[in-house]
Amino acid sequence: MSINYAVAMMLVGLGLYCLVVKRNLIKLVIGLSVITDGIHLLLISIGYRSGGIPPIVTSAYMDNLEGFAARAVDPVPQALVLTSIVISVCVLALALSLAIYAYRHYGTLDVRKLRRLRE
Amino acid sequence: MADSVVFGPGFWGPIIATASMLLIAGAGYLLILASRRISPRRPTSEKLTTYACGEDVSPSQTRPDAEFFFSPIRRVFRPFYRYIGAKHTGELSLYVWWVLIGALVLVVLTAHGLGVL
Amino acid sequence: MIPHAPILAVFLPLLAAFVLPLVSLLERRYKIPLAKEWVSAIFVIAEVMVVFSVFPDAKSSVVAYQLGGWAPPLGIVLAIDALSALAALIIVTVGALVFIYSFIYMRRESGVEHYYALLFLLLGGCVGVVFTGDIFNFYVFFEIMSIASYALVAFRRHLWGIEAAIKYLIVGSLGTSFILLGIVFLYGRFGTLTMANIMELMGQVAARDLVIPLTCFLVGIGIKVAMVPFHFWLPDAYQGAPSPVSAFFSGATATVGVYAIARIVYVLFGAASVGSLLVVLGLITMVVGALMALVQRDLKRLLAYSGISQMGYVLVGLGLGTALGIQGALFHIFNNAVYKTLLFMLVGAVIWRVGTSRMDELGGLWKNMPITAFMFLLGSLAIAGIPPLNGFASKWMIYLAGIEYGGWGYVVTAIALIVSALTLAYFLKALSSVFLGQRPSHLANVKEPPAAMLLPAMVLAVLCVVFGVLPQLGVDLVEPAQRAISDLNGYIVGVMGG
Repeated sequence: MSINYAVAMMLVGLGLYCLVVKRNLIKLVIGLSVITDGIHLLLISIGYRSGGIPPIVTSAYMDNLEGFAARAVDPVPQALVLTSIVISVCVLALALSLAIYAYRHYGTLDVRKLRRLRE
Repeated sequence: MADSVVFGPGFWGPIIATASMLLIAGAGYLLILASRRISPRRPTSEKLTTYACGEDVSPSQTRPDAEFFFSPIRRVFRPFYRYIGAKHTGELSLYVWWVLIGALVLVVLTAHGLGVL
Repeated sequence: MIPHAPILAVFLPLLAAFVLPLVSLLERRYKIPLAKEWVSAIFVIAEVMVVFSVFPDAKSSVVAYQLGGWAPPLGIVLAIDALSALAALIIVTVGALVFIYSFIYMRRESGVEHYYALLFLLLGGCVGVVFTGDIFNFYVFFEIMSIASYALVAFRRHLWGIEAAIKYLIVGSLGTSFILLGIVFLYGRFGTLTMANIMELMGQVAARDLVIPLTCFLVGIGIKVAMVPFHFWLPDAYQGAPSPVSAFFSGATATVGVYAIARIVYVLFGAASVGSLLVVLGLITMVVGALMALVQRDLKRLLAYSGISQMGYVLVGLGLGTALGIQGALFHIFNNAVYKTLLFMLVGAVIWRVGTSRMDELGGLWKNMPITAFMFLLGSLAIAGIPPLNGFASKWMIYLAGIEYGGWGYVVTAIALIVSALTLAYFLKALSSVFLGQRPSHLANVKEPPAAMLLPAMVLAVLCVVFGVLPQLGVDLVEPAQRAISDLNGYIVGVMGG
């Protein structure tokens, strides 16, 4: 279990590193989505239970709801991650379309060149 | 501690603040008048024209530089503009750097605020 | 209260955002003039009515609206206390005026229906953030708001807009990622997402486990309110965005940021002890904002930095944590929304007529647009805190709060006073280089903008004077919100039930 947390934190750290060090706009967008994926992994790991069952009450569990509750994984993080994935796809699509426009205007994706708004 | 501010009369209330601001404005105007007595204004048409490099420039063609509008204040706060103002370069990775540095500082300050450190 | 008003307030703008592109299709096919403008106006008026109808109810007690009848902590709940109601009031008022302003301002653009749809999305996101009672929906609405803002900044798709949007998007998404991370930590610790439920359980957790989540929230929200190390995106975004959008950002989005700080730090975490941190950050923010504003050449950029500086006042007031300080901060955010929106609208009017906001290229416009110039003077004096205008009243409360605090509170008040003088200085510069002085010859034929564009600005200018002359009105407006911030138990009982 703790390996999941470690990997999630590593993904967030790698994404931050990418944001700080890389100069290419596409790579920055990749960095952003790596950060978000790391957080998603962390969130889904919180609700995970090894040897757990899907959190859907079937007829087999109707007479043993307590046993079901003891074994089922937490459904809330999964719902949250689904929502969050949709949001991050929106951000990703917007970011890439902006990158296309930036390339048209500036002829480059180097963010160091994108600095005409200085004063 | 007061539960709520009362904007009534009182020492150094808004009324007095307004009155003293008007008073000081009046005093400043008197100073200007007094200075006129010492060195009176003698405008001549030559003094009022704008010129550069020996040629007259029509006033509608002159452009002040807005950045240097307050150059005295710039001189007073020179360290700020040299070290912090100069950081506003518009470079994106610098923005992200500052977010991370700010986050690290905030961790320490928050820990201190919550009484952990 | 209109029945189901809380969910209607969130749902109406989102519905409008969906409907507007369809309306625009019909408009083009059947040649109905101004259909999308009328539809937007109807939706905005409905939204204003809904939010205003919630306000009296929320003033005295918490309005908890359970979605689908599921009680918290299992169900999703919209929780509206006086603080949310105040923030929503500011947001929809600014939003409605910005819409009226946009009808004229955006007339020359193409694809305006997308602009209105995005503006509705932004409005819905803002109202959602302040109305929601659970922390994950807080994140979702925060993201809706942010994504709509990125797209609006880039709306014109010119060079500056795209560059500003990219910078805003990268920094802003980093911020919202931090918020999501904070929510994940909180969920891992408490196993619930309803804010009131988390507040109930907050006492059982050691303070050291709250450091990282609280920091994550502070960073994420700090980026939204542009506290100083996180403020770099803001001048770019305000300069690159169309003027009505800048006006909306400075009025409504900034309010949402301050609301989020008050809600998350003071109410959710109950961490009044980090107040001194907010005071320090606020002082740095106000000083840096003011000094940077002094040397700007672009009028919109100057206003953006002055907005950062004003946020500093609000943070200081909130951080002092006394009743007076919090009231001053909330009153100041109200006033800030009024005069900042006013100033951006007027700058927009100048840009609409002249085509530039560079101060070096402007001058002497008082003769051409006297009404605009007079309102700009009014707004500048209000923001600099000259009595009898509204900025004075709220700044006065913050100064008093600093003095009342004693000790280093005196230093806070002294710095705030100096920054106030600097504010006057840079607004004098803006006023003199745009409206006074020599008029460049090519600006001789500039005319006053149309009345429909000046009307919303006039409403705000009148508000500036009214709340300056009768400050007690403003104090009465923010006082319930201040009590809501300090009454944590009332919030828990109001949402979770006895």
